[in-house]
Amino acid sequence: MLFSTSAANDVTVLRIEGELDAVSVTDIRASLNTIAEGKPARVEVDLSALRLIDSSGVGAIVSLFKAVRAYGGSLTTTGVRGQPLAIFRLLRLDRVLIA
Amino acid sequence: MKGCIIVRLEVPGVIQYRDIMLRTLSATCKLITPGARSSRASLFSAHLVSAVGEAYNNIALHGYAGRETGTIRMEIEQGSDWIRVVLEDTGASFDPAGARPPDLDALPESGLGVFIMRSFVDEVTYVPGPPNVLTLFKRLDEPREASPNFRRRGPAQRV
Repeated sequence: MLFSTSAANDVTVLRIEGELDAVSVTDIRASLNTIAEGKPARVEVDLSALRLIDSSGVGAIVSLFKAVRAYGGSLTTTGVRGQPLAIFRLLRLDRVLIA
Repeated sequence: MKGCIIVRLEVPGVIQYRDIMLRTLSATCKLITPGARSSRASLFSAHLVSAVGEAYNNIALHGYAGRETGTIRMEIEQGSDWIRVVLEDTGASFDPAGARPPDLDALPESGLGVFIMRSFVDEVTYVPGPPNVLTLFKRLDEPREASPNFRRRGPAQRV
């Protein structure tokens, strides 16, 4: 899994590539916490290069979503397709996380 | 229903070997899905890989937690339009039938694995061990709504 963040005009973009699963989720948790602590008005999670996600990865994204929502910000995901989209639809996350 | 066993794989029961299992399964899915680029074939693979991935997580992260790590054996049996995956381990037994369905409206951050596993295959059977034997069966058919289907054989032990 690779990830990167960029910030401009109170918008933080988080791009995640590869697999976000029980193996890799520990690598990204600290960065998710850092994003939430910065309290940007808007967080955009670019998942267009995400190949696979599991329940652990979903938990990390939902956790960030809740943290952002708690301070009044917004979080959306973009580019969700393939297996991650199947998971999002099953868990009804497409209704709240997909722009 | 009998098919032919095309893959047997055994790995140490730790999370780092998950990707090997799932990539092997994903490659196998392509063998029974004509027109592998079709959305139907992609969905079949996505669902089965997701279900087996969650099963693997449960064994590696919970079944072998606090005890000597054994192995996870995967056997993939293929029919003309179906795949059966059998996972065996010697960790603590975990009966997936005992897991409560999550409240999706509450946006849970955990407790989703068994729900995903049960939702994305047509049949789940579990026989507590040792060895514990979890069987997931999925037929290539039209996409279906999440409706966990579970069948248990033998006495179950929930941990």
